[in-house]
Amino acid sequence: MISSKHRQNGIEIISYYTGYIVLIVASLMTIPIITSLLFLEWNPMLDFIISDAIAFILGILLIMYGMRSKESKHDMQWKHGFVIASLSWIVLTVLCAIPYMLSGHTLSFVDACFDVMSGFTTTGLSLTQDLDHVSIGLNMWRHILTFIGGQGMVVLTLTFLGKEMGGAFKMYVGEGKDIELVPNVKGTARQIWKISMIYLIIGTSVLWIVGMSIGLKPVSAFLHALFIFASSWSTGGFAPNSQNIMYYHSIMFETVAMVIFILGSLNFGIHYAIWQGKRKEIVKNIEIQSFLVTSFVACILVLAGLAKLNVYPDAVAGFRRVIFNVISAHTTTGFGSIYARQFALEWGDFGILIMVVVMLIGGSACSTAGGFKGLRVGIVFKGLIMDVKKLLLTERSMNVYKYHHIKDRVLDDTVIKSSAIIIICYIVTFATGTILGTFYGYPISASAFESASVTGNVGLSIGITTSSMPTVMKLFYIIAMYLGRLEFLSVFALIGYFLGGVKKACKNILKH
Amino acid sequence: MQKYIKTLMWVLLFTFALTFKVNAQSLTDINDLIEKAKEYDGEDVTIQGEVIGESMKRGNYSWININDGTNAIGIWLDSDIAEGILSYGHYKSKGDTVKITGIFNRACKEHGGEADLHSSSFEIVKNGYEVKEQISPVKIIIAVILTLFALVLMLILVKVIKNRRL
Repeated sequence: MISSKHRQNGIEIISYYTGYIVLIVASLMTIPIITSLLFLEWNPMLDFIISDAIAFILGILLIMYGMRSKESKHDMQWKHGFVIASLSWIVLTVLCAIPYMLSGHTLSFVDACFDVMSGFTTTGLSLTQDLDHVSIGLNMWRHILTFIGGQGMVVLTLTFLGKEMGGAFKMYVGEGKDIELVPNVKGTARQIWKISMIYLIIGTSVLWIVGMSIGLKPVSAFLHALFIFASSWSTGGFAPNSQNIMYYHSIMFETVAMVIFILGSLNFGIHYAIWQGKRKEIVKNIEIQSFLVTSFVACILVLAGLAKLNVYPDAVAGFRRVIFNVISAHTTTGFGSIYARQFALEWGDFGILIMVVVMLIGGSACSTAGGFKGLRVGIVFKGLIMDVKKLLLTERSMNVYKYHHIKDRVLDDTVIKSSAIIIICYIVTFATGTILGTFYGYPISASAFESASVTGNVGLSIGITTSSMPTVMKLFYIIAMYLGRLEFLSVFALIGYFLGGVKKACKNILKH
Repeated sequence: MQKYIKTLMWVLLFTFALTFKVNAQSLTDINDLIEKAKEYDGEDVTIQGEVIGESMKRGNYSWININDGTNAIGIWLDSDIAEGILSYGHYKSKGDTVKITGIFNRACKEHGGEADLHSSSFEIVKNGYEVKEQISPVKIIIAVILTLFALVLMLILVKVIKNRRL
């Protein structure tokens, strides 16, 4: 009896906070509504009004249902925090897909959900049809999704609703973030948004100027700058036109975007530390070291591989295409400065293999980037060195091994184990996606490339992701993006919670 | 009978002769260019598609982007010609349909390894037009009803929260 009451309270807590998260994200739909109004796009405006109203209604109903938990002041447990984070992502994916569906630019609701999950998880793969004729309102929405996805929906809600959100840290961790910039988590959420907004102003301004200098009209240049900034900073990879970054035909535009997505892939903790005057962090931080080493090695290897195949006519062309695409893959951005099929047809197996590796490694922990993160790679690598050193030293010697991430931390077996577990989870998801691709008849290298891209939340495609691909693959890719972004644990908690409920319900039925 | 055979032979001769003359300007899909890039690299090709977005002037030359429904590609052409394009494709308009002949580059040396097409001949096949929005009255009614319902619920929620605080 007590257990079922606890469970009921748990459901109410989850409903209450999920409702608030839905409400805050739904209120963001006013931005595309205003955009549509400004550009006199009446149909998209109505689409967003309908979607916004549905989201508001659901959000309010969820809050009302869960309000009793707030009155009875039940404490939020870790499992609730994890379930709220993962459940709100699913609910929001469905709600935010409504304007896509109403626009007529997606062939099915699954395709619409695919695009929203791709935006939220900052992946950047798209099944939207006829992108070159999409309204400015819908384009604004696509890029808002990827921008807030980069920061996190829970982080966004905590920024606006500090007082209402008790147990905030549990939800924050549930969304795959663990860095504490200031002593309380609500303050940390605000700092994350502060950092992002300052970069938004600077980045958009620079891209706007560059856009006008390459021949775009002022208003159009502003919109392109805003969209490309949102995609770059969140390491998303969406672009307003079907040619992605190739639409601009400009090395200057690509370079500015590249600087922004490298910055976006860095840990918010590093940004905050540098802003606090701790400049040495750039040199000492294990994630930056790891990123520099892996990206340098990857660029050299791909350049060597493509030089052997004579893919590019000269070094300038080779450097421009290779560095942009490798860094875009490594930071899990997914902007492509070559056609998707050129990876398959021209880069060869060696180039594809290197891209798969960097896509899986990804950017920094607690950043907008995906992948299993440089921090974990650094920790596991240092753990390996530590074990070798221990073997070589005498049994009596007791050494303490450390790594530097914002501050000096002790490298012990628990840290190494938890990092290794997450890496294994990523590899299992990647392998499953590769097997599924080959099952449906795609070549193994192409399947591995696309699977790494979805698992690492990258967004580069080799040509598999199209609206004509099998629905099972679309669904798997949606799940893989979701798992990769929330770093598995929250989703496992949600599945466990759901299965626990089903098990109890079955037991009750059998008893009666 | 001989007359008929002669006439038939003349007809066939003319038919084949005309066929040989037309062969030079067959259209290529943009997707085909990418799929068989090595085959087409450095060759003269003709594509036909809609001009999308806007032109980007870079001195005497400009970039425009063409989408033929299979894919899109950048075209490098004389700025004076680009100025002749009146309609560009976006949400509110269908762009001019143009036929372009030029050299396809798989990895253009002049443009940092980009796959592009340097235009040598340009023709507007069909003028673009403004796309007028058709607004469904049902959509308006649904939007109004849902918004009113959401507002009522919002007011109830605010009231409940206020009562709880008292």
